Amino acid sequence: MRPLDPRLLRYARSARGYVALTAGFGVLTATLVVCQALLLAHALGGAVQDGASLASLRPTIAWLAVVVGARALVTSGQERFAHRAATATITELREQVVEHAVALGPRWLASGHGPAVVTLATRGLDNLQPYFVRYLPQLLLAATVTPGVLLVVLGLDWVSAVIMVCVLPLVPVFMVLVGRLTQGRSERGLVTMQHLGAQVLDLLAGLATLRAHGRERGQGARVHALGDAHRRATMGTLRIAFLSGMVLELLTTLSVALVAVAIGLRLVDGELALTTGIAVLVLAPEVFLPLRQVGAQFHAAADGVAAAAQAFAVLEIPVPVTGTEPAPDLRRVVLTLDGVSVRTTHGRSPAALDLDVQPGTVVALTGPSGAGKTTAVEVLLGLVRPDEGAVKVGTLDLADIDPTSLWSQVSWLPQRPVLEPGTVAAAVGGVHDAAAALTGLDAVLETLPDGWQTELGRGGEGLSLGQRQRVALTRALVSDAPLVILDEPTAHLDAAGEAVVLDTVRVLRAAGRTVLLVAHRPSLVACADTVVEVRSDADAMDPAVPA
Amino acid sequence: MRPPTGTLRRAVTLLDVDRRRVVLALLLGTLALGCAVALAGTAAWLIARASQMPPVLALSVATVAVRAFGIGRGVLRYLERLVSHDVALRGMTQLRTTLYDRLATGRAEAVLRLRRGDLLARVGADVDAVGDVVVRGLLPIGVAALLGLVTSIVMCLFWPPAGLALAACLVLAGVAAPALASRGARISEQRAVQAHADMTASALGLLDDAGPLLVSGRLQREMDALRAADTRIAVATDGGAPSAALAAGLGQLAVGLAVLAALLTGIPAVGSGRLAAVDLAVVVLTPLAAFEATALLPAAMIQVHRSRAAAARVLALLDGGAGPSPVLDDPRRPLPDLVAGDLTCAWPDGPSVVEGLDLTLRPGRSVAIVGPSGTGKTTTLLTLAGLLPARSGTLRLDRVDVSDYGREAVTATVLVGTEDAHVFGTTVLENLRVARGDVTRDEASAVLERVALGGWLTGLPDGLDTVLGPDARTVSGGERRRLLVARALLSPAPLLLLDEPAEHLDPATADALVTDLLRDPRGVVVVTHRLSPLDAADEVLWLDGGHVRARGTHADLRRTVPGYRAALELEGAGGAVARP
Repeated sequence: MRPLDPRLLRYARSARGYVALTAGFGVLTATLVVCQALLLAHALGGAVQDGASLASLRPTIAWLAVVVGARALVTSGQERFAHRAATATITELREQVVEHAVALGPRWLASGHGPAVVTLATRGLDNLQPYFVRYLPQLLLAATVTPGVLLVVLGLDWVSAVIMVCVLPLVPVFMVLVGRLTQGRSERGLVTMQHLGAQVLDLLAGLATLRAHGRERGQGARVHALGDAHRRATMGTLRIAFLSGMVLELLTTLSVALVAVAIGLRLVDGELALTTGIAVLVLAPEVFLPLRQVGAQFHAAADGVAAAAQAFAVLEIPVPVTGTEPAPDLRRVVLTLDGVSVRTTHGRSPAALDLDVQPGTVVALTGPSGAGKTTAVEVLLGLVRPDEGAVKVGTLDLADIDPTSLWSQVSWLPQRPVLEPGTVAAAVGGVHDAAAALTGLDAVLETLPDGWQTELGRGGEGLSLGQRQRVALTRALVSDAPLVILDEPTAHLDAAGEAVVLDTVRVLRAAGRTVLLVAHRPSLVACADTVVEVRSDADAMDPAVPA
Repeated sequence: MRPPTGTLRRAVTLLDVDRRRVVLALLLGTLALGCAVALAGTAAWLIARASQMPPVLALSVATVAVRAFGIGRGVLRYLERLVSHDVALRGMTQLRTTLYDRLATGRAEAVLRLRRGDLLARVGADVDAVGDVVVRGLLPIGVAALLGLVTSIVMCLFWPPAGLALAACLVLAGVAAPALASRGARISEQRAVQAHADMTASALGLLDDAGPLLVSGRLQREMDALRAADTRIAVATDGGAPSAALAAGLGQLAVGLAVLAALLTGIPAVGSGRLAAVDLAVVVLTPLAAFEATALLPAAMIQVHRSRAAAARVLALLDGGAGPSPVLDDPRRPLPDLVAGDLTCAWPDGPSVVEGLDLTLRPGRSVAIVGPSGTGKTTTLLTLAGLLPARSGTLRLDRVDVSDYGREAVTATVLVGTEDAHVFGTTVLENLRVARGDVTRDEASAVLERVALGGWLTGLPDGLDTVLGPDARTVSGGERRRLLVARALLSPAPLLLLDEPAEHLDPATADALVTDLLRDPRGVVVVTHRLSPLDAADEVLWLDGGHVRARGTHADLRRTVPGYRAALELEGAGGAVARP
């Protein structure tokens, strides 16, 4: 793990100011630590050795009080800004990750990256909070207080400085050594732990199913056994993981003890003044404190650093370049897929698909589930780049076309309709009673408290899937886009709902618009002018699918 | 909204921690940090005494002690961490097991609810959070209290005013500062809850529906919504920051105040001979090391607060699952004769979805339930299986009310296979064996062939031993559905209730599968929305608007119900084209 990734400063502007500010606070803290030690040593040394009175030490103690107050203020200020900077950086990275992931397109998101990016954006990046608030300040203190105080100690008493300088490099050396030794083991342990944890959750998730089968009993013992195995695996990992912490504490406390003993022995010989001795004794732990804190916060910070690294990894994937040519008018030109294939982990899906979408016709894509019908639509829209074959809009290559100029001519109803929060009227794009009567939305509106003005939640919350589909269908109907794409528009509808979709398709065709259907049901296929069968490599091998 | 008092105590009781281990961890933790305090005190004594140039022998005990404390701290702390983590992990296992056992025997709807939303993921995290309270909350608090008490008493023995001042400063750093810190954390959290939910919804929406949003040109608006939610999170976080800042400052200030108090009271005492000069060094320098334990308390308080909230949710789940738990051991095996009379089906806190349902099921008889989606067909099946209580009407098995039987007796007779049933993260074979422990490999292959999964099975890398991902994210929707049907078919129960077994299949395969299921010698209820294969059913129930609109044989309905005929013709017309 890199303690401070330069990419963090590059991608998150809010992090830059914060790091500079924290470094400044670090220098200030170092100065105050030294002042405090010297003032304290002066007051205490005077009182212990020379029997100085309170009156004579009053100025020293007053200054000490000022330094104590100043340290409290600096600590307070650091904390105040740390929270703000953490939140600002997290939100900055989150927006960039989401924007970039969306730009990378649905295929990238669908190929296993989607859930990871969702977790990263909504929860993972929040782990940067402890990194910014706890770890980074200590890291910068280790870079300011540790060397600064060490220099002062060197000036006061070189023997103590030598002891500390000898121990100091041992800290990272031992940390790395222990880290190396434990890494393999703790990674294995981590995998076991996650596996066992997932199994417990799996049993819990399946409890309803086990109950339906009358097999829920005896599983409690299994949960307990899994938990015990989880504990043993975890403890095995922790036994080694905590070693690094122990080495760190051992080295730092022991060196303070050695410094104290060395000072004591030289005081007896009269080689050292008590004031110097006290100052060095007070300063010695301060040299190691930031290092110890860095070690203590390491694990909390590691999650944040890992999340940030994931974010950078996403941000560094280049976004495919899009074309700049304006798309031709879809009412006039033919959309063509020529031998298009998209590779997946299960072979090509679709495989070598040829498709002509003539303006003003109804084209149906059919084929078994998993054949790549939806992917074919996404290829046609320029959301997915084909691995083989060509996509043409008229005579132009789709890759040369500015996608927004194509999209503005398309109304697309995906399998799961996407509705924005707001009223039904806003989702449809105005009050259209005639269209609603055609798509069956009128029946849905009757059941809603405020009809067209009913507020829907995000994604059409408050409506069933079939009802949402009618809203989206109405929107497709009233839009004036020349090309309407309906992906399984009858999937969540019964026979009556299906009839509604068929009527809608007929009206669209009568209006001279081009309709591309993804269809399972024969009734829908029947109303198409052209039917194109989509096949994947897997279908070619699967005998269960009738040809 | 604060959880009721006693919530955390109840949850910690459920952890069933071993008291001896907790005491051991507490002692080890106190001794570890005590070593650091003792190191500071002894070192101060050592150099103050040394400055008086006594014979070196007079210092030998102190020099040995200083080194011993230097070593003791690291070693003791290591042991303490091991003991405390062990305690916490044991507690979590105990809590998980208790939770599982209570849910397994409690009310069924509490379990069915588990599958909804993110509840499940939360249960895992919540149990961990409750367990964490031991290591990160209660133990640091105990160590700080014990160590603070002991340190103050020892300092009082040297010089009472300095000891009392130290005690006061420890209270400032150990009580006031953590209270402020947890207040700050609470403020930020409360204010950010809604903003955080909005942010998550926006980010999810953007990433799930990137394509449609791009094409419809609504992407920018959604990005703006995300930014707005993020801004509100930032404002909320800032609301708690002043308290956190004040707490951090107070913690730092307390150390300085304790040192200053020792100096101001100790110096005149040395002058007047009431305090030895060497002891002054001890009472002034020891406080510098005495605040390490209290420095951990703000984080500990925040952990306690978090754990309490988690405990409230876990307890709510436990209490929700508890209830008039049915008898488990019911040796009766009722005859497979299920009769519903005027049955109303509903979730306990939801509206009635189906009313006035009459249905008879016995082996050899098949019933198809058809109707628009969203009409509560799944709820109906769960009610018929006795997993949800009937709101009104009767449901009798072998002429006795279903609720009179133990779960075992009912599940041995009636099996419901819902569409959201769980596919376990284990092999295909083990998943099928959920239905019956002794399913052979041949039986498994045969049943998969029967539900048109033969080709799928051939394509699996390890055949029946292929491990499916958690909740079968690696299989397609249609394959998953048929796997569940296969499992239901393997069950020994003589009555089967199946939910949309042929969803996601092409019409020909779907009709063949439904026909086959309806002809099964057992008693079968099939929920479906395709009408073509229903000639094989003894009776068809047409649900609409929460009532049975029509019932009879397929032929009867086709003849007498115009809507049924129209729907059928729609399917049929298309079917002719699809199968030229």
